[in-house]
Amino acid sequence: MTSTPLPEEQPPAPRLNATQLPDVDVPQPSGNAPLVVDENTDLSTLTPAQLYELNQRTLDESTRSSSDLPLIAAVAPIRVLREEYDGAPAFVRQIDFLATKGYHGIRRTRGDGDCFYRSLAFAYIERIMSTPDPALEATIAISTLDAAVPLLETVGFDKFAYEDFYEELLGLLRRVGSGAPDQLSPETLLSAFQAPEVSTAIVVFLRLLTSAQIRCDPDAFDAFLFHPDFGNQMTARDFCESFVEPTGKEADHVQMTALARALKVNAKVAYLDGHDPNGAVDFVSFESALDPSTPPVVLLYRPGHYDILDTRSLEAIQL
Amino acid sequence: MSDARLRRVNKEIADCKNDKSSKIVIELIDNSPYHLRGSFTGPEGTPYEGGHYEVDIVIPESYPFQPVKMKFITKVYHPNVSSASGAICLDILKDAWSPVLTLKSTLISLQSLLCSPEPNDPQDAEVAKHYMTSRSSFEETARYWAQAYAGAPGGGVKGGAKGGERDEIAIAGLEKAHVDQFEALGFERGKVIDVLRRLNYRGENVTKISEDKVVQELLKN
Repeated sequence: MTSTPLPEEQPPAPRLNATQLPDVDVPQPSGNAPLVVDENTDLSTLTPAQLYELNQRTLDESTRSSSDLPLIAAVAPIRVLREEYDGAPAFVRQIDFLATKGYHGIRRTRGDGDCFYRSLAFAYIERIMSTPDPALEATIAISTLDAAVPLLETVGFDKFAYEDFYEELLGLLRRVGSGAPDQLSPETLLSAFQAPEVSTAIVVFLRLLTSAQIRCDPDAFDAFLFHPDFGNQMTARDFCESFVEPTGKEADHVQMTALARALKVNAKVAYLDGHDPNGAVDFVSFESALDPSTPPVVLLYRPGHYDILDTRSLEAIQL
Repeated sequence: MSDARLRRVNKEIADCKNDKSSKIVIELIDNSPYHLRGSFTGPEGTPYEGGHYEVDIVIPESYPFQPVKMKFITKVYHPNVSSASGAICLDILKDAWSPVLTLKSTLISLQSLLCSPEPNDPQDAEVAKHYMTSRSSFEETARYWAQAYAGAPGGGVKGGAKGGERDEIAIAGLEKAHVDQFEALGFERGKVIDVLRRLNYRGENVTKISEDKVVQELLKN
């Protein structure tokens, strides 16, 4: 198999999800002097805008400067993230908070605008593999997908143009569980997601599924379809063609809700933003699993980027 | 990946062959499935009506994850198409590309682009200015190009048939009287056409641009 380089498109400028911000009327710093933060800086003196900038800078350094970062990485202990925020206690407190909630690991994804879809896809399959009866769960997942896929044709996608992408996802799900041919292990799952041809095909498929879900359920979504930069209301078709279907376009609340519904999964997103004075982290839940008690997949959000949080024990991660 | 690319392209070509209703045609140019020629007819009710438009299609290596490359082979007078190179300014050929788009759907988008120019995001600035200055004069020129280059029915334009002698004044979207006026001052016809085209000497610009200004430009170089 030849590995063809995929477009190394620069991710779009990160956007702040305005709905997640507290109401602030703190005066903005005057002038445009660059923010200097060192170990002597008291973060409580920073304005929300400065905190945001600090977070963005750390995020840029940790996800984008390294072009050799894999599409998705092995789990790392969460202290690796903590070290990157050294000198930013508001974030360190939040990272410690996550650790006390049992999130000892972080699995990073490349900041290419596809990170939400890639993270969710990986965590979704990994979760199925960790259930007591993975083969059964995979069968249920496949039948959920098979039932959803006709929506893609309903909204006008050509079957021949998406079936190859769907096949990549099915190919992995069919390998889940003991007795499956070429049984998927955590290692082979990771290498599949690191291979651009498989990984990107799955991302594309999830984008199309998200689009179909949004377009086919106007009652649920139409009232929330706004242009992320200009704020004007958009038709479902325009919204999806501009902000869901093209690769590299970041996901926001609408896309997350739609995809969780299409896959029938429970997902939780932890917002690392340095806002809470006590270091608490807000989680936003998307609950769409048939069995509400299904443990969610958990993603870590920093404005403009998603990674996966991991709950296995510290010892297991460090092995 | 290259197997997947070939499989996909073959499906697309087959899909187009089987679909008689869209009147979109895709053919091989040189026995490579990655270099194709697409064609469609100019949309009704536009200056391009009745024209036959050919598009050069190159399938990049990581297709369909990267957008297909398309440019017009047939010369087109349109704000979003370079009148010189055929290069196209259309969002889906750039950052709005999605791997679910196909050669056929992209060619259909090109066809609709002919119906609805976006002069604010031009590929050819001179043509866009013409469009903004005088819609009727722009449409006349676009129609003339359709007749001269795309084989649209003659409509009484002299020399309009494909392969026939082309009227360089009509090609440039100018009026014969204006060209004659400056040619009479002793300037070479080709130069007059070039300068008046660059100055967008059309519509109300004719009264805004003084004769002196035109002569000045003509005297340059």
